[in-house]
This record gives sequence, C-alpha cells and structure tokens, in this order.
Amino acid sequence: MNYPDGIIVALTILGLVGIGIYAIIVSRNLIKIVVGMQIMVKGVLLAFVLAGRVSGNIGLGQSLALTVIVVDTIVAVVALALTVQVHKRFGSLDPQALTTLRR
Amino acid sequence: MPNWLLLLPIGVPWLGCIGVWMVGDRRPKFQHSLAVFFSVLSAGAGLMLIPYSTQRLTLMLPLGGVFDDFRLATDGLGVFLAVVATVIGSLAVIFSVDYMHGEHSLGRYYAFVLFFIGSMVGLVLTTSLLWMFVFWELTALCSYALIAFHNDDPKAVRGGIKALIMTQFGGLGLLFGALLLYTYTGSYEINSFLSNPGVLPASVLNWMAFGFLIAAAAKSAQFPFQTWLPDAMEAPTPISALIHAATMVNAGVYLLARFYPAFEAVPGWKLAVMIVGMLSALLAALMALVAFDLKRVLAYSTVSQLGFMVYAVGAGGVFASQFHLMSHSVFKALLFLGAGAVIHALGTRDMREMGGLGKRMPFTRTVFILGALALAGLPIFNGFWSKELILEIGLGHGNPSWIAALMILSAGLTAAYTLRMVILVFYGQARRDHHVHDAGNAMKTALFPLAVGSLSTWLLLGPFYQALKTSLPFHKFEFDETWLHMAESVHSTIGMTLEVGLEVLRQPFTYIVLLVVILGGVSWLGRKRLSVLIATFKGVEQAAQSAFGFDAINDAIVKSVQKTGEALRVTQTGYLAWNVLAVLLGWLVVLILTLLGRIG
Amino acid sequence: MLYALVGVGALGCAVAAVTSKRMLISAIWLALASALVALDMYLLGAPFIAVIELSVGAGLVTVLFVFAINLTGDEALPVANSVFKWLALTLILACSGITAYLVFPRSLLSPSNPETLPLLTIFWDLRRLDTWLQAFLIFAGALTVLGLFRSASHESAKKEE
Repeated sequence: MNYPDGIIVALTILGLVGIGIYAIIVSRNLIKIVVGMQIMVKGVLLAFVLAGRVSGNIGLGQSLALTVIVVDTIVAVVALALTVQVHKRFGSLDPQALTTLRR
Repeated sequence: MPNWLLLLPIGVPWLGCIGVWMVGDRRPKFQHSLAVFFSVLSAGAGLMLIPYSTQRLTLMLPLGGVFDDFRLATDGLGVFLAVVATVIGSLAVIFSVDYMHGEHSLGRYYAFVLFFIGSMVGLVLTTSLLWMFVFWELTALCSYALIAFHNDDPKAVRGGIKALIMTQFGGLGLLFGALLLYTYTGSYEINSFLSNPGVLPASVLNWMAFGFLIAAAAKSAQFPFQTWLPDAMEAPTPISALIHAATMVNAGVYLLARFYPAFEAVPGWKLAVMIVGMLSALLAALMALVAFDLKRVLAYSTVSQLGFMVYAVGAGGVFASQFHLMSHSVFKALLFLGAGAVIHALGTRDMREMGGLGKRMPFTRTVFILGALALAGLPIFNGFWSKELILEIGLGHGNPSWIAALMILSAGLTAAYTLRMVILVFYGQARRDHHVHDAGNAMKTALFPLAVGSLSTWLLLGPFYQALKTSLPFHKFEFDETWLHMAESVHSTIGMTLEVGLEVLRQPFTYIVLLVVILGGVSWLGRKRLSVLIATFKGVEQAAQSAFGFDAINDAIVKSVQKTGEALRVTQTGYLAWNVLAVLLGWLVVLILTLLGRIG
Repeated sequence: MLYALVGVGALGCAVAAVTSKRMLISAIWLALASALVALDMYLLGAPFIAVIELSVGAGLVTVLFVFAINLTGDEALPVANSVFKWLALTLILACSGITAYLVFPRSLLSPSNPETLPLLTIFWDLRRLDTWLQAFLIFAGALTVLGLFRSASHESAKKEE
C-alpha cells in the first residue's frame, strides 16, 4: 500500500461517515435511521483498520474493530426491536411522531 | 488459596442480593430467611479475616489497560471496618425481619441492603484509589435507594435525593484526588503513595488534601454538609442504624485516617480538620438539644460524635479516632435499633407524644439506657474510654487548647441531650394513650449483642492497637511513646488493655471531663432552676432549631438550580433530527478550535 | 486503482441505500456496501476482520432488517423539507473538509517492518476487559430484546381476554 491508496481509503471513510450522518439527520423513517447508523459504522471500521495498518499494529486495529462490530450489531438489534415496538404503539415509523416526552 | 477469602465478604452479600431479588415478592418469608442467612454468612466471612489483620493478605485481578487492576489487601484498619460492616449489617437484617414485617417490595429492600454491605467491605479493603472511588459511589447509590425506599412518600424521596447529591459532590473531591495521583505517579496504589507523599509537588498535595477533606466531610455529614443526615432519617430505622450510624458515614473518617500520613505535613490541613470536627460536634450537639423527632436527635448525635472522630484525626490521634469509631458503631446502632423498636410499636417519631414507655417496654428501655450511657461517656461503657482518649489527645502535642475546651463543652452537651432523650421517651407521664408491646423476638436478638458490646468492646483496645501498629507501617500513632513500654512489658494484649485503662484512670484530666459530663446531665435535670441562664441563650436555641441557617442555604441552592434548568429547557426540542444536527454543530466547533490551535 | 474502485463502489451503494424509497431495497444496498467494505479491509491486510464484517454486516444485519421490515410494513414516508437537507449537507461538508485538512498531511505510508503481536495475545491479554465486556454486552442485548417482546406478548394476551 502506498501513499495515494491511503488517501483514497481515507476519502472513502470520510464519505461513508458523512453519508451515514446525513441519513440519520434527514430520514423520516426509523429503519432508515438505523441503516444510516450502520453505514457510519462501516466507515469507522475502515478507519480502525487503516490506522492499524499505518501504525504497523494491525492486530490491535482488528481487535478494536471487532469490539465495534459487536457493539454496533447489538445496538442495531435493540434499535430494530424498539422500532417494532414503536410501530405497534404509535402506528407510525416517523421520528417526528414520537413526541410524548416533549412538553 | 487463602487469597480468595478476601473476595468472600464482598461476594457473599452480593450473591445474596441477587438471590433475594430473584426470589420475588410473592414469598416474603423466604425472602426474610434468605436475607438473614446471607448476611450472617457474610458476617462469618468478615470475622474470618480477623487473623489476617496483622499479616498482609492480598488479591489482585488484573484488568489490563487504562482501568486500574482490582486490588484487595488486609490490614488492621480495613479488616476492622469490614467486620463492623458485616456484623452490624447482619444484626440490622435480623432486626428488619420484625421491623419490615408485612411491608411490600421486600426484594428491593434486602437486595440493596446486601449490596450495600458488600460495597462497604470493598471500600475498606481495596488498595486502589480508583476502586475506592467506585465503591464509594456504590454505597452512595444504595444509601439513596434505601432512604427513598418508601418511594410514594415525597419527603422520603426528597431526603434521598438530597443525600445522594451531597455525597456525590463529595465523591468528586475523591475522584479529583485519585486522578491527580494517577497523573503524577502513573498508579492508583495507595500504599506506595503513603510511603512517599513527596512524589507529588507541594501544591498538588495541597489540592488533594483539601479535596479529600471535602469528600470526607460530605460523606460523614460534617460541617458544612451536615444537613443531609437528619433528612435521611426518613429511611426505615434498620437502615438508619446500619448506613447512617455504623458504616457509610464512617467512610469519611476512614478516608481521613487512611491518608493521614500523606497529608499531615500539608500546612493548615490539620487545623482545618480540627475546626471542621469541632464545629460539627458543637453545632450538632446544640441542635440535638432542641429537636423533638427521636431519630433527628440520634442523627444530630451521630454528626456530633463523628465530629469528635474527625477532630481526633486532625489532632494527630488516629488510633483514638478509630477506637471511638468502634465504640460509636456499637452504641449508636444499639440506640437506633432501640428507637426503631419504639417507633415500630408507637407509629410516631415525635418525642412529645411519647413518655412513660419504660414500664411497658422494659427490655427496650434497658438496652436503650445502656446505649445512652455509653454515648454520654460514663465509666465502664466503651464510649467513656474512647472519648477520654480523644480529649486527651486534644490537649497535648501542641494542639490549640481553645478547640479542646469547646470539645469538652460538647461532651457535656452530649450528656445533656442524651438524658433529655431518655427521660422524654421512657419516663414521666404517658402523654398519649398507647397500646404498646415490647420489642419482638428478632428485634431482641439484634439488640442483645449490641448491648453486650457497649459494655465490652473497650476490652479490645490492646489487640486493636497491636493490629493497627503492625499492619500500618506509615502511620505514627500518638500513644507510641507511652504505650510501647507497656506493650513490651505485659504478656498478653488484654493485659495491655487493663494497663492502659488504669493509666487513663490515673490521669486527673479524666475526672475533669467526668465532672463536665455529670454537670451536663444535672443541668438538664435542673433546667427549671437555670431558666434565667437558658433565657439568655434563647437566640441560640432558635438558631439551632432552624439548623443555623444551613437549611435556608440548601433551599436557595436547590431553587436556583431548578430555575437554571427550566431556562435551559428551550434547547431540548425533542426532535431527533435537531438533536443530531446539534451534535454535528458541536463537532464542527471542536474541529474549528483544533484548526485554530494548529495554525496559531 | 483497486482501492479507488472499491471505495467508489462502497460510496455509491451507500448513497443508493439512503435515497431509495423502499426499505427492502435499502437493506439490499446496505448488504452490498458491507461486502465492498469487507473487500477493502481484506486489501488493507486485515483478513480476519474482513470475514467477520462480511458475515455480520452482509448477513446478520440484513436478515435483521428484513425481519423488522416485515413486522412493520414497507411504506414510503414523506421527505424532510429541503432547508433542513441543505443545512445538514453544508455542516457535513464543512466537518469533512476540516477533518480531511487535519488528517491528510500526516504520512499515510505503512512502515516497512511492522512488529505486531499474534492476534490471540492481543485479544486475551491486552484487550481482555474488552473481550469480557463484549460477551456481557451480547447477553445484555439478548435479554433486552426478550424483555421488549415479552411485554408485547403480555399486552396482546391481555387484549384478547
């Protein structure tokens, strides 16, 4: 791997994270928000692996990336379960319909 | 193999916590018995550590990385407090079988009590400052949950939150000190810090010393944080006995005693500690003299006695303060549990509605009087010996004598309010017609050992001193010069106790203090004659009833925080998209600051 | 060259996942993006993580999404208003730009002789707390989902009475 490849991967990471955050902000469907979060996490995983490669400690990079995968999967599972419950209770998947905590 | 013994006093109560929780509230009898079983088992585990109090038993679970390793070690101070926590904990649980009979949510109650016992033992046995902070906060959490146990009573919930916030604030001082230690030395290990406090620069040591003083004052309800303890009396009485008299509030004194060798050279620290202790002792004694709620009197009494212990540490008397801690845990738990028996029988805490109960509750009256005499500091009882040692320390070693004189005054006031309490509750005409029964069997089982203890724990002076001396290498004990020759010349440690006892009795100072104590009691009895004198102090009485203005300060702080919260509520829109956008905006600000830092 | 292809492919799939109107199509595009990211990780020299990411991201998560979409229906919802979208877009571009500026001058070359511990040592010694916490987290997540769906079944049982 040489210098320009590193830049390309870094650009990919920034792109993925940006698209993920955009999806979270702009979506009007709870499931789309979870999709956006997953995309963001892909970018983060790539960042860990890239950092591991660049600093020479690829084992540590992989171990941290594994932690992120586990955590992110559990978060997706619980978020989707909550989405299903929200749909049962409110009848809609629009985040703007979840207003019971506001005054 | 014996290293695993260290985990038992923490693990057994925690196991009991999960067990009682899972049994469920549909089987209360089973919950009662399971809780008693586990608490007695943990008392056994605590007592098993006593032989190790002079040797050093250590256990370390490496956790790798930034978070510190889990380290436990035994020494005289830690084992002593662990035994106090588990044994008095088991007695409080036995008492609860009668006191909480018929209550709902027993699972929550017993689970938190057992969780608390385990956390307290962890706090005193650990040698890592970070883990001490973790256990400190765990005990604060249990205290909050148990004060607000009757969570449909707004007073209880308010008391719980007040206690939580004040002790958390103190915990910040502890965390601050722990992080300072880590930043400068790279380790959280307490003993390496104590052996060489000079490893921190002097200004950092100052910050740490006063940070710890604030943490200890907040936890032990000392001046200026004393307002949470009286409000915490909304908790069920066994909880008041366990947490707010015998164990958690001692954590502050323990902290000061443990770190004394590191901070004694900090200029002004010892004087600050002495003044904090003296103010707490004096003000709380005055407030106890005019309070009408039985548990409030005992709460103020606890603050006052803790003031004595804190004062002793400041004066250089670490041993005297720990010895008084031993006596105080026993007789204060006895007084609280006795008060619990009275409150359970009557249903009210107001002393103006009690009176003449002595005839109808003879057992409770007897044990309560034993505890009261120990508190007042009469000879034979354990309170007498420990209080004498504290006041003796105050006069020597170059400590200011005006503070010592005020402490002697507080001792006299102690006798006065104790006598007042006993007379109002148990003697005189019955102010209300009550159908009362004496304490139940479980209550008697819990009260009896404590009463015996009030008479006898002072006999442990010799062994306790030996244990502390051999296992705490960095502490200089105040009685070393006078007692060392005694320790060498007598064969057994009990013999040393008797020698020390005789030595105390030979001092003329002892009799001066005894005179003040008796004067305090007599002045209460003859208060009608002294009414002229009392009238001149009327202003003090009114100030004492409103807790010297501290309640007003507390209310003002609470109101201003609430107003700020309401004002800032506008920023919480409740829409997910706006919140994430705000996060993004925050990140942009951080990036711009980094950029500016890079360019500039 | 290969990196560029994979990178552009992953970004394209991500954009398609975000802009598609039907949720199932979104989930499929997400799976494709996962596969491309896994390929990228393999190219960077982390085969272990690439395999895990492939099976979890392109397999497990997609199945989860399909379940959730089946349980909640597949309706298309209104789009957010455009002012909001442009605001979000500008903020994101600003953040990415500044991050890129801060990161890129650093050398992105890999060292010639990387010294690394075997993977097993890293998992079980260096990051031991991480590994235990992950196991604990998996249990906690499973219990949470069970709890969420149990209360639902209680309620539906009550409604039937």
